[in-house]
Amino acid sequence: MTATTNKEQDQILMERANHYMRQARLAAAVFTQYSQEDVDRIVKAMTQVAIENAPMLAQMAHEETRMGVTEDKILKNLVASEFLYHQIKDKKSVGVIQEFPELNLVEMAEPMGVIFAMSPVTNPTSTVIFKSICAAKTRNSIIFSAHLMAADSSNTAAKMLYEAALAAGAPKGFISWVDKSSRLRRLSELMMTHPEVDLIFATGGTQMVKAAYSSGKPALGVGSGNTPVYVHSSANVPSAAMEIIISKTFDNGTECPSEQTLIIDRAISDEIMAEFKRNGCYICTPDEVKMVADAVIDSRTGGMNYRLVGQPADLILKNAGIDSGSDRPTKVVLCPLEGELRHHPLAVEKLMPVLGYVFVDSVDEGINRSLDINYAGGTGHTAGIFAEDENVIERFTTAINAGRIIVNSPSSIGGLGGVYNHLNTTLSFGCGTGGGNITTDNVGIKNLINFKRVPRRKNFLTTFSTTRNIYINPGSIDQLKTLKCSSAFVITSPTASRRGHLAMVQERLPENCHVEVFSDLGPEPEFETIQRAIVALRKAKADTIIALGGGSVLDAAKLVRLFYDYPDLDLDQIAVSFLDFNHRMQVFPKEMKTQLVAIPTTSGTGSEVTPYSVLKQGKRKISLVDECLLPDVAIIDANLTRSLPQSITVDTAFDALTHGLEALVSTFASDYTDGLALESLRLIFEALPEILKNPQSVLYRHKLHNAATLAGMAIGNASVGINHAMAHAVGARFDIPHGRANAAFLLSTIAYNSRVPTKFVSIPCYPLWIADRKYARAAHFIGLNEKQERQDLSYEKDEAYRIRLITSLAQAIYDLGRLAGIPLSVGELGIDPEVYLESLPELTETAMRDLSLRTNPGYALPTEVAQLFFEALPIRQRPE
Amino acid sequence: MQTDNAQKIFIAGQLQRAQDNVDQLIASGAQSVVLDFSACTFISVDGLEWLEEMLLRADSSKAQVRFVSIPPSIYKVFKVARIDSIMRACGAPNTDKHSQSC
Ligand SMILES: [Fe+2]
Repeated sequence: MTATTNKEQDQILMERANHYMRQARLAAAVFTQYSQEDVDRIVKAMTQVAIENAPMLAQMAHEETRMGVTEDKILKNLVASEFLYHQIKDKKSVGVIQEFPELNLVEMAEPMGVIFAMSPVTNPTSTVIFKSICAAKTRNSIIFSAHLMAADSSNTAAKMLYEAALAAGAPKGFISWVDKSSRLRRLSELMMTHPEVDLIFATGGTQMVKAAYSSGKPALGVGSGNTPVYVHSSANVPSAAMEIIISKTFDNGTECPSEQTLIIDRAISDEIMAEFKRNGCYICTPDEVKMVADAVIDSRTGGMNYRLVGQPADLILKNAGIDSGSDRPTKVVLCPLEGELRHHPLAVEKLMPVLGYVFVDSVDEGINRSLDINYAGGTGHTAGIFAEDENVIERFTTAINAGRIIVNSPSSIGGLGGVYNHLNTTLSFGCGTGGGNITTDNVGIKNLINFKRVPRRKNFLTTFSTTRNIYINPGSIDQLKTLKCSSAFVITSPTASRRGHLAMVQERLPENCHVEVFSDLGPEPEFETIQRAIVALRKAKADTIIALGGGSVLDAAKLVRLFYDYPDLDLDQIAVSFLDFNHRMQVFPKEMKTQLVAIPTTSGTGSEVTPYSVLKQGKRKISLVDECLLPDVAIIDANLTRSLPQSITVDTAFDALTHGLEALVSTFASDYTDGLALESLRLIFEALPEILKNPQSVLYRHKLHNAATLAGMAIGNASVGINHAMAHAVGARFDIPHGRANAAFLLSTIAYNSRVPTKFVSIPCYPLWIADRKYARAAHFIGLNEKQERQDLSYEKDEAYRIRLITSLAQAIYDLGRLAGIPLSVGELGIDPEVYLESLPELTETAMRDLSLRTNPGYALPTEVAQLFFEALPIRQRPE
Repeated sequence: MQTDNAQKIFIAGQLQRAQDNVDQLIASGAQSVVLDFSACTFISVDGLEWLEEMLLRADSSKAQVRFVSIPPSIYKVFKVARIDSIMRACGAPNTDKHSQSC
């Protein structure tokens, strides 16, 4: 008979691999149908069998591997069954596993599928028990490949748990195990890269974990350990000594979180060494340390001698040629690590009862020597500290890089979790990136679930806020008489004092109120003017600011108060742009100290009720937004607008008109702002033509004044849109009054926003584009449908009707503009067309940066904004 | 693709209950069999293995078997199981494992 080639042998092995994989795959498929109750019933049955057989399996493992201590292996088997069960029995692993009502989010479980698992020689049965139960709980199939030296005990454990699971209704074949054979290692290699494997769950030697990671499959592995344990002088020394012995002798030191080197404060060195000695540890002389090192360290690799892993201390002493001189058994061999710790041969992982130690003279030195051990092959794994001083514990845990830092308990059993602490029970210690792993978890069921997150929409909070006290009727300026203030600072413009408004204010302020006036505010002041006002205000030490004038004065007064109350604020910082008001990074003060009374003398900006302040900076305008900018009192007295020249009346009225229209279609519009916007539009269409005929009419001045404030409340909460972005850009670049600049683009932007946007805006509070309906509603509301349309027509449903209404709205605006004599295009503004066209890139860029664009109902693309600027140049024709 | 003389079998509850009927039908030489899964509540590993084996038999006797009205929980089992012949019976156009739909 000829020997088969490697290739042929691989083919035979591959067929076996396919067989294992197929049954695991089918079981995984069937498992998807299982409910939480089904799974919990299976887990319970498996746990019961594991507990009953813990001693038998422990003994079998010990006999097969000749490592460790049977009694400790029993404990490990029980940790992997009883303790694990206690921890996971009430955990959800099917369907919805966690709900986060406050986040409108649920987490659901999806099984991972087929897990290929490896178990180590040091913990063969406990690892199999642990992984089998975790797989059942998470509805995964699992195929075990045991360490060759522990295959019998591992596979017996797997078979026992599988049979118990099957009897409890588990899918056929969901646990399987690779039979012991001389080709087991090669078969494992082939299985690791098998297409049916969804996850590799590797626990074992570094070589095997490395192979798992290089398989190209998702893998849960562990890193190697090298546990430093710092014993600080504040520790309970006798207890620390005993628990270190418990830990290091546990299963003869095979647990990888167990202590490797002790770092001991010199102040307690005598006491702790006496305790170790009294309790049966052997303390080596420097010469003996060398003998121990020669025995337990493999001189070729510098790592531990695998023949002595998990062997009792006396056997190790014997191997080192040392006579303990005692007839009682030695618990731990303690070796003083003299000289440079980082180069000491014993400063490595020794999975046997051999423990290094050094003495240190300070906490700093203690932590630094611990780091030396931690970074000598054990990063991400485990560390320990015995100390009562919380400050020392905090410094240690901050410095050390370990997935679990065990405080005042045995690090080996402590690391397993559940016995000494509330760490998750595990036999697989994630070591994070320090150990080349993806997690530092005590790996458990959570790591075997694909989490499906199901987020529902955020509850979008819509608020409405405005100026608290608004006094409305003609003559309401008398309200100043009752104003609570002892020192008032009036901010106004030279015009207001010429028109007699300043005197009206001064006459009405309470008699005992000290009054100072700053009347240097021209239209659209720069920040420098505002700073001068602040200086004057500081001298006046006023408790009340009275802003008397148009939008610029009111906006400026808001900033004067802000910087007067909070001198440390930085304009550049609070002017940082933002995408979403609720997520913006700027922090504004919560409360203002100085009272702000706003008395508008134009009917336009509505600044008396808005949280905005627009400031000119060079050729740019910056917008500040915050509730703290809202005035405390607004006085809407139309008597103050009676003497307003027609051109300013018209300009500002068109600003208010733009506010109504843009607030209406804004993505932030609400029922609250819609009502205000619609009524403001109706009032403007009613009042402005009458005022043009009779500028002194208090009745219509009053209506227009109210319209501006209502529109201000609407934009104060819904903001504006693309028209303002463009108007701000052109206004700043060519010194055009704000309302005029708005009017020049209004018909372009209504046409633009009435069309289905090229790009929709992604704003949760705007789930449906309805700008066209909104314009139609405005037309309907101001009575533009009355001519010939049938009563049963609905602009909501009938698109043609909607378009007719929008056209009649545009025509009405055109007619109003022509009646009022306001320019309705850039060409009519008197700007040099050549200069304008040259400025288009700059204007577009400025407009794109404007906050107003954020609430436009469609996402305005730069090319579209540029086109809108371009199209607004010719003399405007009546829309058809 | 459905022919008028297709034999339809309803699978109620667990799949195993309908196995004998289907086996008899294929053995009797039926050329077109439709398995209606609308009332199927659970498929076991044995059930999957039987489906695959039955489809193999049907194929060799030139009988066409189609699965219809498959509840999502059952269809998901088929998807996870990744068995070509079952996916074809669900109407998948080809044997490409990753582009099936029904
Ligand atoms: Fe405006």
